[in-house]
Amino acid sequence: MSEFLRESFNESKTMYSGHNEALVELADENPNVLILYADFAQGQAGTYYRKKYPDRLINMGIAEANLMTVAAGLAEGGKIPFTHCHSIFAIGRAYNQIRQIAFDKYNVNIILCNTGIFWNFMGASHQVIEEIPALRALPNLVLLSPSDAVEAKKASKAAAYFDGPVAIRLAEPETPIIYNDDYPFEIGKAKLLKEGKDVTIAATGILMSKVLKASKILERDKIDVQVLNFHTIKPLDTEAINNSARETGAIVTVEDSSVIGGLGGSITEILSENYPIPIHRIGVRDVFGQTGNMEELATEYNMNITDIIKAAKNVIKKKRK
Amino acid sequence: MIKVSHDPELIIKLEGKAKLLRKHTIEIIRYAGKGWIGGSFSEAEIFTALLFHHMRIDPKNPDWPERDRLILSKAHCCEMHYAALGEAGYFPKKYFSTYGKFGGMLQAHSQRTVPGVDYSGGSLGTGLSFAVGEAIAAKLFSRKTSDDTTVPRNMVYCIIGDGECDGGQIWEAALSAGHHKLSNITTIIDRNRYQSTGAVDSIIEIEPLSEKWKSFLWNVLEVDGHDLGQILDGLEAAKKITDKPSIIIANTVKGKGVPSFENKVHFSPLTNEMYNEAMNALA
Repeated sequence: MSEFLRESFNESKTMYSGHNEALVELADENPNVLILYADFAQGQAGTYYRKKYPDRLINMGIAEANLMTVAAGLAEGGKIPFTHCHSIFAIGRAYNQIRQIAFDKYNVNIILCNTGIFWNFMGASHQVIEEIPALRALPNLVLLSPSDAVEAKKASKAAAYFDGPVAIRLAEPETPIIYNDDYPFEIGKAKLLKEGKDVTIAATGILMSKVLKASKILERDKIDVQVLNFHTIKPLDTEAINNSARETGAIVTVEDSSVIGGLGGSITEILSENYPIPIHRIGVRDVFGQTGNMEELATEYNMNITDIIKAAKNVIKKKRK
Repeated sequence: MIKVSHDPELIIKLEGKAKLLRKHTIEIIRYAGKGWIGGSFSEAEIFTALLFHHMRIDPKNPDWPERDRLILSKAHCCEMHYAALGEAGYFPKKYFSTYGKFGGMLQAHSQRTVPGVDYSGGSLGTGLSFAVGEAIAAKLFSRKTSDDTTVPRNMVYCIIGDGECDGGQIWEAALSAGHHKLSNITTIIDRNRYQSTGAVDSIIEIEPLSEKWKSFLWNVLEVDGHDLGQILDGLEAAKKITDKPSIIIANTVKGKGVPSFENKVHFSPLTNEMYNEAMNALA
């Protein structure tokens, strides 16, 4: 296991906790950082920020399209806005506006709140399955997908200092803290979390702790798993994908949203062109979500630890002889 | 509205400029062979008043942070926008010939890659939201005037179409500008009464327009959009308002300036006959 991983995953936090810490530090560092949100509590940047910087926090109301283009105007005017919308409404109601931001390369940081299938209570109208395919098709846009609070904090800080638009996926449930605080984060570079030669698990987002737990169980069965963290969906680290495919000859992709055009789809596209090998994609398979806690949903949609283990064993069987 | 007696020579000079901008526009459209003739011609006096008299700009320094912003939300009518920027000296007029050409600087729909364009449009209804963001930024970056008054760093001017008022984002932006009392926004609506397939109010009734904007907490002014004295009065009156955004309803005629175009032409090929008619009318 990588030196940057915690020994045990027994502490859990939301990704927002890390992101909100980043917002306070960024606001301290730069007077131009400000926050827009579409009238929901998680978008309010946390209690500390709210008290310290009330004049740098604007509730734009339930009007995501306006919010997103206002952020573009603020960025052109010299500000560094962080927008907070429920992800489904960012891409569903403001896709065209995000597209304009990407076209003109404004320094807007688009926080995709409550991303993926695991927004457990809210049901299908609020769970997003299609944001990765929708956003990775946009030129100029960087898309980040952290897997715990530590990585969320690093992603938010990296986004603020990146000259251009960045979207960040933050899932709602508390999730185990995986990384030590000195974990290095670099946009565009997949992170090797575990060396291995039998099979690669390429994962992104909130399912990462399940991936790491699955890899430990697979080790007991003498299966040597390589784990790659694709915290950057775009630009995707194609070199890491190609190298890993050559090293292990089989890949399981794991994500918390649709495999159609998601991380699974992206990696399949790249390897089809460069080095075709057996792939199994774990993620939402062409269905809308429903209410349920993370365990119930992960089991229902075949995204749980047992599914990852089974997929790894099956994909190894399909390897070229 | 505050009536100002403008120097008659200024008005005559600006009227000449508006006519020249229409000629440039026809030349630009001729290079592409087609274009948004009607909506470009209806906004000629609005662009003239803004870029050649009212706005605080420096065409040689298009990225000057303190410049007043000009957002053409109805960005398909870019030919007049490009004509005005070229005439104002943002770029050499030889670039007019690149309009509608592969690799050309002047792309269809006003685009920020062109010096002087503050906003890439094309997606109708979005420009006013961009203006709201610009206006908030300008208020946060306030500056001192020569008499030590604190004012927003810059004004934001946004030209919207009446057709694009069909869409919801215009009204989201209007609500937010009113709520935040963004007095450094002046919106000018080019009320030419026609959109792509017919008369605006026969497609979606947008009247009573003045009452709508007033109820969204805007200061509303109404002018003849081809009368430069009235437009200048409106712009100056709007700038004096300090507690709400302003909108100037500029009543215009689509295709104004060439009788055979008036109230008829939206997007159209430019035939040789039309070109000659335009040049004769603008002679």
